[in-house]
Amino acid sequence: MVRLKREIAKRVFAKEFNASRFKIGGNVEKETVYIFTPLGLKCNRVFIVGALLEKEEVRPDADIWRIRIADPTGSFLGFVGKFDPDARESLAEIDIPSTVAVAAKAKLLEKSGKSIPFIRPESINLSDFETRDYWILETAKATLKRIELMKVDSEISRIAKEKYNPNLEEYKEMVIHALQRLKEEAKVVEEGLEEVEDSIEEEVLDINDLY
Amino acid sequence: MDKFHSIVNEIYEMFKDYKVSKSEIERRLKLLVFEFKVPEEEARRTIINGLRRDLNISKEALRFPLTKISELEPGKWVSVKAKVIQLWDSTSPSIAQWGIVGDETGTARFVIWTKSSKGKVEEGKNYLFEKVIVDEFGGVKSIKVTSLSEIKDIDEEIEVSEEGGEVEAIGALVSISQNSGLIQICKLCGRFTKAGICKEHGKVEGVEVLRLRGVLDDGEKMFEIEMDENCIRSLTGLDLNAAKKMAFENLDRSIVLLELKRKLLGRYFRVFGELKFRTINVKRAEFFRPKILEEVEKTLEEVKNW
Repeated sequence: MVRLKREIAKRVFAKEFNASRFKIGGNVEKETVYIFTPLGLKCNRVFIVGALLEKEEVRPDADIWRIRIADPTGSFLGFVGKFDPDARESLAEIDIPSTVAVAAKAKLLEKSGKSIPFIRPESINLSDFETRDYWILETAKATLKRIELMKVDSEISRIAKEKYNPNLEEYKEMVIHALQRLKEEAKVVEEGLEEVEDSIEEEVLDINDLY
Repeated sequence: MDKFHSIVNEIYEMFKDYKVSKSEIERRLKLLVFEFKVPEEEARRTIINGLRRDLNISKEALRFPLTKISELEPGKWVSVKAKVIQLWDSTSPSIAQWGIVGDETGTARFVIWTKSSKGKVEEGKNYLFEKVIVDEFGGVKSIKVTSLSEIKDIDEEIEVSEEGGEVEAIGALVSISQNSGLIQICKLCGRFTKAGICKEHGKVEGVEVLRLRGVLDDGEKMFEIEMDENCIRSLTGLDLNAAKKMAFENLDRSIVLLELKRKLLGRYFRVFGELKFRTINVKRAEFFRPKILEEVEKTLEEVKNW
């Protein structure tokens, strides 16, 4: 039973993804191509839950849309077109801003000496804050694991250091910042809920008073 | 007499893979214990050594008996002949490789520790994993390759059974296959049929079912999953009749697939079910709602201690 191996959808924050400048693989025909990030992640597919902030038809003649999806560290640039009909179809129904869950192919545009990482969504779905929060947690943990791996001598960590010489402290701060925001937001939401409930109660009382 | 039989059984267990019969062991033991009046322990050792010599088995092979995957017991040192079915990316510097292996009796996970410095295995190839230790986590058995172990290429094709036992998995549903939703399957073999044609049986009478096939992915590993009507109903409220009605009203059955994608794609799930080859036949599924705040605080605490 020979089957093409499906690539795992990696969890990576926008800041790390966007700092990628190199590819691995693709030297032989049909060999899988991976984006190689500064923390040594090889990704061909990613899964992201974040805020869809922009969708703009950039090539109306070819039906190609540019999108931007933000996470706590930055934003992913993406392109959606008829080559991914599922994503194209659901994008049409989604307004901005919305929280979305996206499974996407990780790509690197190499043009006139520049390398720009972007994503090509396979599917886009409306999501919610709870799912997004879990994604942030999961991605934070995965990133911390990679930072630790960078401190251990291995082929991957050697290549990553040679290509990027990443500032691990900076990435660690990025993760801490994302987690702290999550913690603060969670508290605000809890307090916020109480406030809303209070005001609903007040309103109900007011109505009772009126009648 | 009890002691006599327990020795027979013990030796039989040790040599059962080498086609040694119980009666043969009994014959040897009787001879030594009853005729030569040798103490039982001494007789036991003599028989084991004798059989080992006769069958040309190394001492190590006996200490690490060749074991089928369905018979793996946690805590035991064994050797396993298996095919590597799936390899996952390493998620820790201490793990060189991990994934799923299988033989004709079932499947198990395997881990090759970096410290073991054992050669790399490849997906789809067959190996003899010698002197490995078995452990179990969350109902899933795994074999651990340590520095004591050996991995040898073998020149035989292992047929992998589909039985893999109960598993639990958590992950995001990152893909739903087109063969999902309100579909027709072949009455004879249960395969997906397109326009009433089964790949195996040609033109057949189709049976309508509500089904979901997809991929659950946690960023480190993934499982193909299959959900039946019951599972789909528990998650979405949609059952076969409602799906049929929906398709009828829209004059299009693909509306059901669209609805499943809208409600389930990109969500996190915890599923329980039977692992068959690579697919989990899901018996129970729920939306995964962990206590995020607690986890966030725990993770922050850990980072501070770096």
